[in-house]
Amino acid sequence: MPFTLKQFGILTEKTLLFLFIMKKDGQVVAFNNRCKVLFPNECERIKGKYITDFIIDEDVPIFMKAISKLSIDNPIINESFTFPLSRIGVLSLKFDFTLHNDLVYVAGIDTTEEYKEHRALITISKLTKTGAWYFDVINKEMYWTKGCYLIKELDPDTPMTRDLGASFYPKESRERVENYLSTLIEGKKPYEYTEKIITKKGNEKWVKVVAQPIIYRNEVVYVNGTIADVTDRHNYIEKLKYNEEIKHLALKGIQSGLFDYKIEENKIFYSRDFKRMLDLPTDEDYFTEETYRDMIHPEDLNNALQRKEDALKNNDQHYYNHYRLRDKNGDYKHYEVHGFRIKNENGKTIRMIGNLINVHQKKLNEKIIEENKKRLQAMVNNGMDYIVLLNTKGEILMTDKDSIKTIKRDFNVDPTETTSLFIDVMPVNFKPSFADNFNEALKGNTVKKEIERITYDGTNQWLETKYIPILDDDSKVDSVLITFHDITEEKLARLAIKQAHIKEQELSDLKSNILSNLSHEIRTPLNGIIAISALLQNEVDAEERNKLTGYLQESQDRLFETLNTLGSFNEVESIQKNLNYSKQDINYVVETSYREYRHIAKKKKIDYTLDLDESSPQASIDEKFFKTALNNIIHNAIKYTSEGSVRIKIKTKRSKKNIYIYIIDTGIGIDKSNYQKIFDPFVQESIGLSRKYEGTGIGLSVSKRYIEILGGKIKVKSKLGKGTEFIIIIPKCV
Amino acid sequence: MRMNILYVEDNKINAMVMDKMLSKSNSNVIIAENGSQALKVVKEKALDLILVDINLGLNQMDGCELLQRFRKLDILNSIPVFAVTAYAMPGDEQRFINLGFDKYFSKPVNFDKLLSVISTIEIN
Repeated sequence: MPFTLKQFGILTEKTLLFLFIMKKDGQVVAFNNRCKVLFPNECERIKGKYITDFIIDEDVPIFMKAISKLSIDNPIINESFTFPLSRIGVLSLKFDFTLHNDLVYVAGIDTTEEYKEHRALITISKLTKTGAWYFDVINKEMYWTKGCYLIKELDPDTPMTRDLGASFYPKESRERVENYLSTLIEGKKPYEYTEKIITKKGNEKWVKVVAQPIIYRNEVVYVNGTIADVTDRHNYIEKLKYNEEIKHLALKGIQSGLFDYKIEENKIFYSRDFKRMLDLPTDEDYFTEETYRDMIHPEDLNNALQRKEDALKNNDQHYYNHYRLRDKNGDYKHYEVHGFRIKNENGKTIRMIGNLINVHQKKLNEKIIEENKKRLQAMVNNGMDYIVLLNTKGEILMTDKDSIKTIKRDFNVDPTETTSLFIDVMPVNFKPSFADNFNEALKGNTVKKEIERITYDGTNQWLETKYIPILDDDSKVDSVLITFHDITEEKLARLAIKQAHIKEQELSDLKSNILSNLSHEIRTPLNGIIAISALLQNEVDAEERNKLTGYLQESQDRLFETLNTLGSFNEVESIQKNLNYSKQDINYVVETSYREYRHIAKKKKIDYTLDLDESSPQASIDEKFFKTALNNIIHNAIKYTSEGSVRIKIKTKRSKKNIYIYIIDTGIGIDKSNYQKIFDPFVQESIGLSRKYEGTGIGLSVSKRYIEILGGKIKVKSKLGKGTEFIIIIPKCV
Repeated sequence: MRMNILYVEDNKINAMVMDKMLSKSNSNVIIAENGSQALKVVKEKALDLILVDINLGLNQMDGCELLQRFRKLDILNSIPVFAVTAYAMPGDEQRFINLGFDKYFSKPVNFDKLLSVISTIEIN
């Protein structure tokens, strides 16, 4: 049976729900009395205003998104919004939106407690320890940052595999955790979970794992993830639940009651509410002391009676006692008794009248505060994060061991001995931003910033700092908690992953260049070989045949040269075994190489010279390999120089250890950014299509390897367009 | 009528081979060893086809640059230009066609195919 409009009106005013009606754009049309608290001071003018005028800023886009989703096909939506209320703080309401006839009917319930708890959790979550990991799906390789190892209490040098990673989860959850990763790889969707692990040292911890797929060509190639130790948070949640229950029970109880104890008649009178609470019959007016004693906690009884006896003996009119009393649920709570005695003419106490006060909540609060302090101190001491608690003047009230150490080491100040201002112990460049953030926190706002600092040993450290105002009972800022959460691992891991991806791209490009260059170097002579062979078949003229055969030989030689360089490149691996060291006069060895290229230099009209060292230095080398390395460099110098000079010099300088061989050309030069790359196999200064030089590009890499195998070094200095200077440095025989 | 074909190629053996092969098809092959020689030839001679190697050697303009020079002289409007190159990786053909070459032949050259394409070209 439907309500009448009037009945509905009455109902909406009686309900605890916040009810209002708005248009689809959030404009308020009607609301019940309960909503008045949401729209302070403006109740009369509220019609026509928008809900977005009343909710906190960060909820505005959520609200807009929620109502935009409402449609005839999707008429009901749930969402929570928070209203700032003067004096009270915030009110967080969970709303049901129902779309009907182009109007939105809204019903909300108070979820403020949940909201506050959620906020507390967010704060706590920033105080956890984290690590990053990635899994290479194709090669099935697992990589962990140091943070991961710390969480698992495992030696960071242990090689990581997927199976080893999974082994930290207890048997009952291992398969489930494994499935998360497999499902992610197949389904390409991120996941997160919170599970229990057993560390290497056997400790039980709770970890939160978040993982993201890296998709390339529609396949998951990497999985990037983080792992956070949320043990503290997990325990905190449990604690929070417990505290909430106790608070609720305490609030239900009555705070105090009256009693009137007539001693000689052994009659005690209790006020009505008190009788109800202690589960005494309400229709009886008087109770005996025995009944009362029965309700006192057995542990407290003797002391309570002793205090009563003492009170009766002394002359003080005031009477004080405290003990736990059993209530109707059978639970014991703390009570305090404040009363006074009435004496007869003989000085004997005949009557006691007073107040019985439930101090359970007070006791409980004291306990909670004590526990919280201990917990904070524990977190402060054991966490990887730095925490500093400042009073409103900016003096350090409390800090953790690590921070004390850091402050002592970096700033020569002992924050435990002096009432140091925090601003005095920080690097100069942090001071302005600290002042801003601290002042913001003093206004009651939580501030979050990411900062980078150089530690005393010169390494970079990234910190996520949070300034959290701590409020006293009057909602005034009492102190500011500053946390520094070390996110260096995360940053470095992210950087490493990015660099790994870039490196991989470079390798892939290099591979294409290798193939392209090799292909070009093989196809060019092959073109001649194939065509000449065809021509030879039909050529009858003997002279012409001779000429063609000569060309054929030339093309074949070029092809063999390419294949030989390739061969010598692969050979490097097995060289070490076949080295044949002997003492050689370097002047002599270099001169023979120099002579081998004289005719080419002459053909190119290049000024080609050799300067020997006067001391005729000797080195222990394998002559064959040394010459291959040297020849490659001389050959290159001539190849890349079209005019000017190629000069070779041998010098021992004043060095007693080394011989220096300089090969200096006036050729095309190498760009500084490519210095390292020219020693990579198959790379030439110009690569790909714009490449202007013949050759496979592996000569220099062979030279470098040979010289290094012989105990020497190759250095290069160059200026693009001006020329290149190669220096071979080889140890001298004394 | 004999056809006038310009072949821009720095490798002497490959130039010689092309000359021999195309001479069989009633063509007159002019060899240019580098880009600047080629630009000289196009200004002086009436041509029917230009074949261009891409890698034209040390410090020289390459075939792609030469094609841009041809474009400035409006040669591409009247004379077909083919790329004849040892660059033959996947994607290379498409790249050269995109640059504006009319046809692409990889080395080693399939002369049967080249000759049959040439036979379809009208003589100016």
